[in-house]
Amino acid sequence: MGIRTKIFSGFLILVIMLAVAGVWSIYELRNIGTSVQQLLDDNYKSISAAKMMIEALEREDSALLLLMLGRWEEGRSIMNSAEDLFQQGYKIAEKNLTIEGEKSDVDDIRTKYDSYRSLWMKPIVGTKHERNLDWYSKEVHKAFLEVKVSVEKLMSLNDRVMYQTASNLKDRAHRAIMPGIVSIVSALIFSLIFNYFINYYVVGPIIRLTNGIREFLKTNKTFDARIETKDEILDLANSIKEIMAQKKINEST
Amino acid sequence: MRPHVIFRYTGFVVLLNGIFLFISVLVSALYADNSFFPLLYSGVVSTLIGIFPIIFVPPRTDINNREGFAIVIASWFIACLVGVMPYVLWGGPFTFTNAWFESVSGFTTTGSSILSNIEALPMGLLFWRSTTHWIGGIGIIIFVLSVLPSMGRAGMILYRTEISSLAMHNFHYRTKGTLKVLLYVYIVLTLLEIIFLLFCGMNLFDAVTHAFATIATGGFSPRNLNVAHYNSLSVEIVIMLFMILSGIHFGLLFGVISGKISEIWKSTIVRFYLFALFLGTLITTMSVRVHHYDTWSESLRYSAFQIISLGTSTGFATADTSIWPSLAQLIMIFFTLQCACAGSTSGGIKVDRVVIFWKAFVKRINQLRHPSAVIVSKIDKVVIKEDELEVSILYISLYMGVVFLSSVLLAALGVDSLTAFSASAATMGNVGPGFGVVSSMSNFGHIPDIGKLILTGTMLLGRLEIFGLILFFTARSWK
Repeated sequence: MGIRTKIFSGFLILVIMLAVAGVWSIYELRNIGTSVQQLLDDNYKSISAAKMMIEALEREDSALLLLMLGRWEEGRSIMNSAEDLFQQGYKIAEKNLTIEGEKSDVDDIRTKYDSYRSLWMKPIVGTKHERNLDWYSKEVHKAFLEVKVSVEKLMSLNDRVMYQTASNLKDRAHRAIMPGIVSIVSALIFSLIFNYFINYYVVGPIIRLTNGIREFLKTNKTFDARIETKDEILDLANSIKEIMAQKKINEST
Repeated sequence: MRPHVIFRYTGFVVLLNGIFLFISVLVSALYADNSFFPLLYSGVVSTLIGIFPIIFVPPRTDINNREGFAIVIASWFIACLVGVMPYVLWGGPFTFTNAWFESVSGFTTTGSSILSNIEALPMGLLFWRSTTHWIGGIGIIIFVLSVLPSMGRAGMILYRTEISSLAMHNFHYRTKGTLKVLLYVYIVLTLLEIIFLLFCGMNLFDAVTHAFATIATGGFSPRNLNVAHYNSLSVEIVIMLFMILSGIHFGLLFGVISGKISEIWKSTIVRFYLFALFLGTLITTMSVRVHHYDTWSESLRYSAFQIISLGTSTGFATADTSIWPSLAQLIMIFFTLQCACAGSTSGGIKVDRVVIFWKAFVKRINQLRHPSAVIVSKIDKVVIKEDELEVSILYISLYMGVVFLSSVLLAALGVDSLTAFSASAATMGNVGPGFGVVSSMSNFGHIPDIGKLILTGTMLLGRLEIFGLILFFTARSWK
């Protein structure tokens, strides 16, 4: 095999090693991007919807207490805006069913919210429920807590999956970095070996040939440089020997 | 010493690993797991790095003994480094130290692991893990020499360096013939075990990985509970049978295959090996029957498996031996130190040296009784030379010295004494499980990182039979 092929194969190996590592890193980085998007789309949306619903429920609870105190206008206004907020959050959660078991949690929220809502949809001011703390603690607050627990269940489900996705992201990041590190180390070791081979099989023989020619010019003594490879260097050494032999013949004639 | 010659021959080893990495890639693709890219990249890198010196360096057959030693030692180190790649690329519990430990444990057929949840690993990586056993079991250089066309004198030098002088007995062939015998027996045993395990109801993947680990006397199982996972008497019997066979000199096994069945029974070493296993099983059965198991059959089943597993340096387990009585544990420690016959895939001091040690002891006693008598020691009617006796005793002394030193170093790192000693003995003998924290149903993950590095050192020392590694590190002083 010629020197050109050998050197080319050395560089080709380096290129392949780095290229494969690069392609793999890009693939893993793309996957990280997809996972981040998935994290935002699938889990973060549902978590923020759940937070919205909890906020709405807290406001509804405050509004209900105002209604029980007889402050009808203030209570109704807060209640209406809170209900809008709850429905908004619920719609987001309903449209973002991406995890196994999420649908049953959302359905559970709907059922429990409907029964909670039915308690305060009827008039309160001027009825037996006004200032009736016993009714509030035994029925309303209990229903309120049940809806809140259902919403929190949905939130914790998404939290769990988000944690898992984040852990996968850590693994993916590791897999994106490692080919780079391994290829740098491998390329470094390979370059050292390559350099040694070039020195031993190319530079070394050239130096020996150069020294031999100098010696010949000085002392007219032919030399026999040690060439281990069957390549261009061996051809060069043979050509030099021929020239020397020819020179000696010319000088003798 | 000519580094380029060493590069060329270690290149073959790296290339061989590359081929097996590509086979693991196929397994990963088949199961569509996430080890595909780590294995593929490792395969590409090792193939490229392995092939380059073969292209660049012209073939040389005039290698000397020094270079032979360097090639063998370098090959083991480089193979272990190649083995690290897929683990660190995959990530999970594999830091560099953990990956190095798992890789060295695989190639040296030790079978100790840092993994607490083996089943969490993808199938491709599990296959590679077992493959390291299979490559290392027969000996990396032997593997390379067996599959490559004749390397002339170079092959002979490498063969003599890789294989211990004790193992050369019972091989009645020239180098190439012996290599063929070794590979033939190795492959036949592996295929037979796979078929037997399939008949026992094991799936193909588990059958192949367990066969790789058994024939190489390794001990890596793809299951968290090791062989206990199957809770199958037939599986245990098949594995026990093949563990025993893998502990016998391959030359004698080849004799059996080629019809010379009587040779195996005539061998003093084999008779001692089988008798020791029988006696060890008997004592352990009685010991555990009193304290742990309700029936004799149950006691025999678990004792036999554990004793054969340690006595062949395999390291499979079907019971948690850390809770067994002290007598049973001491018997198992004896087998962890002794292991099986030279010329097999087993590690440890080896039965041959134990027999030689005994013969030397008897000879010395007789010499004291009759000072002027000329007394010779014989095994199978062959006279044991004085230097063979001396080398065997020196080997056992050095072996115990290394185990002691490693135990002291581990204890200095805060590891308890039972764990430190058993871990050192188990890694030095390439057995696998020890006692204490590193017992048969536990792992080496709790050992500090420096301790893991010390243990990988003892694994390599045990695999290279001490002298090889000492010679390598004293290369500068060679004349």
